[in-house]
Amino acid sequence: MQKLYLSGNEAIAYGLIEAGIKFISGYPGTPSSEIIPTAQKIIKEKGIKAFIDWAVNEKVAYEIAYAASLCGIKAAVTMKQVGLNVAMDPFINSAYVGTDSAMVVISVDDPGPHSSQTEQDSRFFAMGAKIPVFDPSTIQEAYEFAKKAVELSEKYSIPVMLRSSTRVSHGRADVKMEQLMPLDSIKVNFKTLKDWEKKLWRYAATPRQRLMLHNKLNRIISEIESLNELKFFFNGPLLLISSGAVFSYLYELIEEYELQDKVTLAKVDMPYPLKNFDFSNFQRVITIEESTPVIELQLCTEGRRNGIVPKEGELTIEVCEDILEKIGLIKREKNFFSPPLKRPSLCPGCGHRIALYEVKRVFGKKAIYNGDIGCYTLALNFNVTDTVLCMGASISFGFGMKKAFSLAEKQQDIVAIIGDSTFFHSGIPPLIDSIHYKVPFLIVILDNKSVAMTGNQKTLSDDKSSLGEITVPICIEDVVKGIGVKFVETVDPYDFENSIKILKEAKKYLKEKAEPAVIIFRHLCINTKEGLELNPKYRVKISHELCKGCKVCLIEFECPAIEFKEEENKAKINDPLCIGCGCCIHICPKKAIVLLE
Amino acid sequence: MKIVILGKGGQGVIFFSRIIAQAAINRGLSVCSTEIKGMAKKGGTVEIQMKIGQGMCGLVKKGSADLVILLSDDLIDYAKSFGNNVFTFKNDEIQAALEKVSMRFINTFLLGVFVKRAKFFDSEDFIKILDEENRKSFLKGYEYVQS
Repeated sequence: MQKLYLSGNEAIAYGLIEAGIKFISGYPGTPSSEIIPTAQKIIKEKGIKAFIDWAVNEKVAYEIAYAASLCGIKAAVTMKQVGLNVAMDPFINSAYVGTDSAMVVISVDDPGPHSSQTEQDSRFFAMGAKIPVFDPSTIQEAYEFAKKAVELSEKYSIPVMLRSSTRVSHGRADVKMEQLMPLDSIKVNFKTLKDWEKKLWRYAATPRQRLMLHNKLNRIISEIESLNELKFFFNGPLLLISSGAVFSYLYELIEEYELQDKVTLAKVDMPYPLKNFDFSNFQRVITIEESTPVIELQLCTEGRRNGIVPKEGELTIEVCEDILEKIGLIKREKNFFSPPLKRPSLCPGCGHRIALYEVKRVFGKKAIYNGDIGCYTLALNFNVTDTVLCMGASISFGFGMKKAFSLAEKQQDIVAIIGDSTFFHSGIPPLIDSIHYKVPFLIVILDNKSVAMTGNQKTLSDDKSSLGEITVPICIEDVVKGIGVKFVETVDPYDFENSIKILKEAKKYLKEKAEPAVIIFRHLCINTKEGLELNPKYRVKISHELCKGCKVCLIEFECPAIEFKEEENKAKINDPLCIGCGCCIHICPKKAIVLLE
Repeated sequence: MKIVILGKGGQGVIFFSRIIAQAAINRGLSVCSTEIKGMAKKGGTVEIQMKIGQGMCGLVKKGSADLVILLSDDLIDYAKSFGNNVFTFKNDEIQAALEKVSMRFINTFLLGVFVKRAKFFDSEDFIKILDEENRKSFLKGYEYVQS
């Protein structure tokens, strides 16, 4: 027995490896991104033979891992909740076809949302796909349920979901665990895989066979359902039912307000599938869960549907207190007000900032800027992003909007902005359509050779895998040219003159040739060690005499290293924050920002 | 004990929380915490809520923290929403850290200042878990505070 201070994601990685998982794929997404790096660290340290690395997107990640499971190797896939949408096709299909060795789907939800586009509940999608789902309440349970998910999947030969959430995945606790001795119970090991048996009725099932497989799935779910019990705590006449992180808040509140005789708290480890329970002994039954009524719908209780539980937002401890107050269990003394926090901005020296400033300079404020998911979404702050929907939508939006305006016979400049990783993830298919239908808009690909927003994971342009194996770097220019784009230029956005020149050429090309144009702005992420070391270093000063206090550098450039002294009506460099990139010297209309020798 | 640690990306908020947690775990206490650092490196706030020796989750209710460690002065109002006992570093202490130790060890210097001044923990708990260089810096900070 050992005790480690782990995050929920780290605990999940330990649980998976301990349960014999040898194949993990996934796509980075907050708050799920730390599972794969931790698993990589463990197999490296222990010398375990396994494949654990990132895939181009969640659908591919799912299919890669699932195929390994069909070959008898215990597999897992990790993603954030919106990533599950991308993987939905194989996810639902794999429930019918079933597994040959364990297949665990880890989807991490983000009620709030803190760093996501939606508050969707992965448990609800598991229910829709008829895939059992575990919902850990604590970090300790994240570790234990990871192992349980592997066992259940192995036992019933269907995929099993482990749903986590921001609070569990990014929480930390001392986790009690066995000395890591990975089980080596893969049915078929790497050597005997050559005896792999073709099972066409499953692996290539016809619609008729799919019907039979659906029937088989229903029988499995019924059996799992019949064994799925609740755990009860305390012994009052009012029954509260919960799962996930919210359970731990309710447990603490019941103790804090000494409600042990008023409330019984039921814990659901596996929110789907649930059988019917006889709750006739209780006066009232209310489910408090995040963030869709999954348990509530299955057990027909009160909760979200009759307005006791808020329909949106994170169920924080404070919100849980509100709920207990609403039910009449407690009376609170006072409410605490929290001031809003400053929103984040791109790092000082970020290549995206100067690139997007240049784009704005040439295409102007009237252009429509279709943004995407990544650090550069923060260009919202300095007016170079007008739309953000989901991964890859910048390019589809560019297509759709340009076509819509041309139907209305209105000239409108459209710019799609997408990062390198997001481009590979889901930007290529809409670019194929855009070139095929000759839609003239600019596609700006911001290539910093890193999945920066989620913690600088590797990208497809790397020549090594995360575990150090040689890989083939994928060249964005080749991909774009291969699709048929004729205007493809690459430039370092730090090269201001050249960038402006290329942007002007692109603008002319769009008008004359009426086809999409692509500019790749390539500059390493300065949040990486290599990127920071290679970055130019200047000393920059804002001239007190020349600065007229127009705030262009703050509003249109928004570098955190430029601050404004209201009392002097002057901008000033914040030296500890400035990394000396020198980009800002190009943006001041009064040329007040100057290099120091 | 309920603690909240607040600051900006790069200020050592995570470092502070991990060291405090390890010191508590070594004493046989349970520790659970929650980290909000989604886009911290972009100048955003880093916030750690932590419970030592109690509770199932790391979340600390507003108004209930026994101690708030504040590393960034502009977050003072936010800090106070967790509790009235807010610990901040004085200007002279930060200045001393900059002068007496190299950049890499500023965190441990300030940790020493904190342990001495906050009187919540025993310095021995920290001395045990720090490596030699960090221990030196910790002790410099610890001794800097006039007893």
